[in-house]
Amino acid sequence: MIVCVAVVGHQNNPLYIQSFTDADDALKLHHIVHCSLDVVDERVNNPKKSGPTLNETFLGLLYPTENYKVYGYLTNTKVKFILVTTDLDVRDADVRNFFRRFHAAYVDAVSNPFHVPGKKITSRTFADRVSTIVQSFGLSSAA
Amino acid sequence: MANYLAQFQTIKSTCAHLVIAVEDVSDLWPTVKNSFEEQLPFKRASLNNKTRNPVFVENLPAEFILTTDARLRSRFPQEQYLFWFREPYATLVLVTCEDLDEFKTILKPRLKLIVQNDEREWFIVFVSRAHPSNDNATKMAKKVYAKLEVEFSSKKRERCCKFDVHGPEANFWEDLEARIMECVRNTLDRRLQFYEEEIRKLSEQRFMPIWNFCNFFILKESLAFMFEMAHLHEDALREYDELELCYLETVNIGSKRREFGGLDHGDDQAALLLPGNKPLTQIVQDDSFREFEFRQYLFAYQSKLLFKLNRPFEVASRGYSFIISFSKALGLHESILPFCMREVWVITACLAVVNATNSQYNEGNAPPEIEREFYRLQGDLYSLCRAKFLRLAYLIGYGTEIERSAVNSALLSMLPWPKPAVWPLVPDNAASEMILQESPRVKPFGIERKPLALEPTALIREANRRRASLSAGSSSEMLDSKQSFGDGSATDVSSKTSPSSKAQAISMPRTYSSAGNFEGSIDRPMKLAEIFVAAEHALKQTISNPDMQKALSSIQDIEQKYMDLTKGAADNYHRSWWKRHGVVLDGEIAAVCFKRGNFDLAAKSYEKVCALYAGEGWQDLLAEVLPNLAECQRILNDQAGYLSSCVRLLSLDKGLFSIKERQAFQSEVVSLAHSEMKHPVPLDVSSLISFSGNPGAPLELCDGDPGTLSVAVWSGFPDDITLDSLSLTLTATFNADEGGKLRSSSSNVLKPGRNTITFPLPPQKPGSYVLGVLTGHIGQLTFRSHSFSKAGPTDSDDFMSYEKTTRPILKVSKPRPLVDLSAAISSALLINETQWIGIIAQPIDYSLKGAVLHIDTGPGLKIEESHSIEMETYRSVDHSSTDTANSGGARKDDNKGLEQLSLLDGKIEFPDWASDMTSILWIPIRAIDDKLSRGSSSGPPRKQSIVDRMRTIALKLEFGISNNQIYDKTIALHFTDPFHVSTRVADQYNDGTLLLQVTLHSQVKATLTVNDAWLDLQDGFIHAGQSDGRPVSAFLPLEISPNSRAGLLFSVCLGKGTAEDEIKLQLESILNIRYGIAGVRTIGAHPPAVAKSNDTESTSHDLIFRSALILQRPVLDPCLAVGFLPLPSNGLLRVGQLVTLKWRVERLKDIEETKVPQNNDEVLYEVNANSDNWMIAGRKRGHVSLSTKQGSRIFISVLCMPLFAGYVHPPHLGLPDIDEANISCNPAGPHLVCILPPDLSSSFCPVVAESNSNKSQSHCHLFQSFLARRRDLLKETPHAPLIVIGRPSQLRSSPNAYQRLEDLDMHFLEKKATAVA
Repeated sequence: MIVCVAVVGHQNNPLYIQSFTDADDALKLHHIVHCSLDVVDERVNNPKKSGPTLNETFLGLLYPTENYKVYGYLTNTKVKFILVTTDLDVRDADVRNFFRRFHAAYVDAVSNPFHVPGKKITSRTFADRVSTIVQSFGLSSAA
Repeated sequence: MANYLAQFQTIKSTCAHLVIAVEDVSDLWPTVKNSFEEQLPFKRASLNNKTRNPVFVENLPAEFILTTDARLRSRFPQEQYLFWFREPYATLVLVTCEDLDEFKTILKPRLKLIVQNDEREWFIVFVSRAHPSNDNATKMAKKVYAKLEVEFSSKKRERCCKFDVHGPEANFWEDLEARIMECVRNTLDRRLQFYEEEIRKLSEQRFMPIWNFCNFFILKESLAFMFEMAHLHEDALREYDELELCYLETVNIGSKRREFGGLDHGDDQAALLLPGNKPLTQIVQDDSFREFEFRQYLFAYQSKLLFKLNRPFEVASRGYSFIISFSKALGLHESILPFCMREVWVITACLAVVNATNSQYNEGNAPPEIEREFYRLQGDLYSLCRAKFLRLAYLIGYGTEIERSAVNSALLSMLPWPKPAVWPLVPDNAASEMILQESPRVKPFGIERKPLALEPTALIREANRRRASLSAGSSSEMLDSKQSFGDGSATDVSSKTSPSSKAQAISMPRTYSSAGNFEGSIDRPMKLAEIFVAAEHALKQTISNPDMQKALSSIQDIEQKYMDLTKGAADNYHRSWWKRHGVVLDGEIAAVCFKRGNFDLAAKSYEKVCALYAGEGWQDLLAEVLPNLAECQRILNDQAGYLSSCVRLLSLDKGLFSIKERQAFQSEVVSLAHSEMKHPVPLDVSSLISFSGNPGAPLELCDGDPGTLSVAVWSGFPDDITLDSLSLTLTATFNADEGGKLRSSSSNVLKPGRNTITFPLPPQKPGSYVLGVLTGHIGQLTFRSHSFSKAGPTDSDDFMSYEKTTRPILKVSKPRPLVDLSAAISSALLINETQWIGIIAQPIDYSLKGAVLHIDTGPGLKIEESHSIEMETYRSVDHSSTDTANSGGARKDDNKGLEQLSLLDGKIEFPDWASDMTSILWIPIRAIDDKLSRGSSSGPPRKQSIVDRMRTIALKLEFGISNNQIYDKTIALHFTDPFHVSTRVADQYNDGTLLLQVTLHSQVKATLTVNDAWLDLQDGFIHAGQSDGRPVSAFLPLEISPNSRAGLLFSVCLGKGTAEDEIKLQLESILNIRYGIAGVRTIGAHPPAVAKSNDTESTSHDLIFRSALILQRPVLDPCLAVGFLPLPSNGLLRVGQLVTLKWRVERLKDIEETKVPQNNDEVLYEVNANSDNWMIAGRKRGHVSLSTKQGSRIFISVLCMPLFAGYVHPPHLGLPDIDEANISCNPAGPHLVCILPPDLSSSFCPVVAESNSNKSQSHCHLFQSFLARRRDLLKETPHAPLIVIGRPSQLRSSPNAYQRLEDLDMHFLEKKATAVA
């Protein structure tokens, strides 16, 4: 289950963060997303380590923990997408696919002329679309 | 083969080196042993690794063992193969021989016997005992050795070397080492081949039922061990890796359910770095090993090798993933393991790896990236350890002590509870061990925040579900009822309970439950306190390590351990790339510091965390930490910090705190601001109070104008806030240093949201300005705000809006003309009369409201105070010209008509209506000139000196919003007389009567009417006839239109006339003209203003114009006449012939003494002649006496001789002392005389250029009348005077004399002068 998706701006500021848990524990997800930026930074700043995936937007599993997984995605404009999932066996392809759709949704959202770049994304359409993508995440993996 | 496991184990422990067997044939070993063993370990060895690539090994240890040694004997062949690694790797045959026969007969066959065993790698060391002094023996030894070499060495391989006991050869040891290494290498290769073959065979059966992992393991580890002995650690490591892979692949295959292990005492302590923790025989399970022990065993060997390879980083990284995966494995088997075994194991494993790698790690050896990565792993290990430790602490009832921060929540709330098969029960004796729970801490500012969950699900539910006697369903039902009964809020999931109710839920049962309640608790759900106690007891059972037990024994110990782990993690993260992890953990340390009362440290750490969150705009997280920081600062009495924290709290997203909380922040700020502060602290409230100019075009001001600037200020305070002062700086865009400071006058109350504040704006320098900094005071608090909001309330989440706006808010234009003052009149005004001067005040896009005009008249000009000043709107000229046609002076239309203004202290205030339109101001003035105007004699009016009659009026207009603008202008006014008078004598009668023509030139652009004119004559002139000096009155009044002329004729005659005293004094004649003027003041001269403005038009007061004329007596007659007497003889002059020229000088009249101040009877004469043409004989210059009486005459004769034939100028007699005008030439001499050539050359024919002959004396008259005629014709048209070129210079005397009477409009130029020009 995806518990959280987040869009983080190029200055590492949160642009959109949405948790999909029942419990009122968004803050810890904030924390997870925030800390995962360390890994993104590390990957970006260490070109040696990223190596062949230098040009790839999908950063893959950011770091393994026992209980949840954090995936990252870095756009050309250094906007990061973070996905936190409690599913411990996730297929990479599913995550890639998820991020691709999420990216498209993001691009649409920031293309809104009333959106101020660098500001939080407040579009409800975007939120709806994201939750649709999140919900279909499990389905697509099943299919 | 598994039987060999024990043996294998012992063999491994006994042999640690390569073995080199020594076959001591000649009992030499005791003698050479020492020197041979000194060579160990081998310095440099080149061995082949598994992939047959050469590897250089340094300091390879080895051991020489005699073949007779017990260790090398008595082995079963099968054993030998299996544990081949311990067999000798080389056989060194030690021989000596001093006799060839002996060698042949004894040694050689024996050696052949030894070396025929192919299995061994051998070589022979021939020991020569011959003393070097003993030549014979040495030679013999050499011979024997040569023989030996021939027998045993081949071309391919040297198998012999010679060792001299008495001083070995220099390269012997190298040779020896090389031989040995060659042998070792070959042996190693052979054995490797063997093992590989065996392993390959065995691994092919991997998935077959007969597969026995133990056998595989023994082979594989033997190989690994062999590599390790040969110091080929890389290869050894690879073998272990393969072993691990193979194990993991096969361990869970097959239907056989194996034991997992980990049930022994002490298994809770991770043994992942202890290779010999448990003998392998203990962990063998059927044909394999128990997973729990064996995986740790493998990892221990791997890490051992890695440490040998000096790669602690890899140990850490492998260790971390090993721990994670092993933890998963433990999780799978949790039900059979002791309670919380998994957690305890992970804690100990992490600490073990951390400690081991830390001690092995040398800082600075690795490249920086690796080093950072290493520290990151250390941090990860600590962090993992910390999480597990927190979980244990929670389980034993210290959950309330754990900071419910986002970090801990993230770590714990997704970490599942331990899943023992049966949740531990409360032991009977534990009822008394109740811990009294503390009440939860209250957040600063009374912030009510739902604490974050530390538990994945409610522990009470989980624990009860796992109890054997209760089914899951019934337990939850019971629990629900219990919970709702226990505390009013019907919540079944503890993560959703409010802190107070949560605390109750925890503390109530612990506090009030008695020991008796636990009796027979099998059948009813456990209470939370019971769960804690039970868990604590179960853990005590699990944990074998006393340190660990102690760490969990009390709250202080838990806190200490927690602190250690957190610090370890934070420190390591700080040294890695993962700064955020580190900083966040600093926050956790801060929480503990805070709890311990170490507020200073806590504040520092909290500050770091806040800076991190604030810097990247993670407000939700910031809102969690910032109140703690503020609380620390408050306790530390750090007012500045506390205030700024409060402001930051206020400027966070409004949704993050409730209104009440925000009001609490504000009241803190306000109360602190008004309290006694030692040092007034500056406070940056940029995030809270922002401001912007009003949208739209910037305020535009003219240079020097003040204004008001209204600025929108957004307040982020939840309530109104009273500011004691508020000021704003403006920054000039052209120069950052420039700029003004605006101060809002009154104290302001800022409402939440948008406020409009108006600042008075003092005059600024030209340029455009942007808003600078907003500063103000609240009580003693100085605050400043740098932030600008574009429009609308600031998004406080937008930390990037810290950019400066470049939109100018104020533009002060460069100085430009704002108003123009100019004179309305285009032509001259009447002097000495009251005249209206019009001043046009034209505002240029600028209001003249309240303008004051200062008027300062220059010398010779004064304002007629008796008249009031008039003002009206100004119509441009083309309008007014049409207007004047129909309505004359008084124009009445929609424009403002005349308004009377009065002059006060030289100032006039402009009426309001004149503020925006061009107006004209009429000021009555009078130019005073005492000088009488002078008439000029005949001819066109001479140019009057303009400066003479010019007056200036200095105007100073003060205008602008606060009369700050000044416009100075000095206007030049021209004044003039109405007429210019010129006179000429029109005619002259013989009786001395002169007809004096007075020409009046109108000087003004107004119609003048001459009503009367009379002439007051000067002494020496009288009016002719009986007239009183007035022209014939029938012609009067005479109207003179602008720029035209009129003439008056007066007849006067010379004469003493009536010698009245008054007139006698008069040196000049005065022309009096009584005239009227009809003019418009907009154009120029006009009727003078009259004090009582009655009908000015009809009976205008006649004005008197007086002009002085100087009448001169007529030109005098010549007093001397010079006559050229006719040439003697017949007038023929020849070159070379002397001739006497005669002149007659006659006095025509008496010379008045005054006019000719010279000797009366002496006349100076001079004869001028061209010396080329004439030769003068005799005196050219001299005095002759001439009687002063009229009619006296003398003759002057000069003897001359012409030198040149042709028409030449004759010599000329001049009288230098006497003005030419007084000389008349009578009879006139010829211009040219004809000189004949000398007689002999009569053929010379001179040419007379008749046409060029200048006007001869007889022509003169004609010429002058011709010039006069021309002048008359050209009179009206402008023309240059005619230039008359003539020769000789005497010729000019006639026209010049004439010109004194009448202007001939010519200039006489001598011909010589033209050549110069």
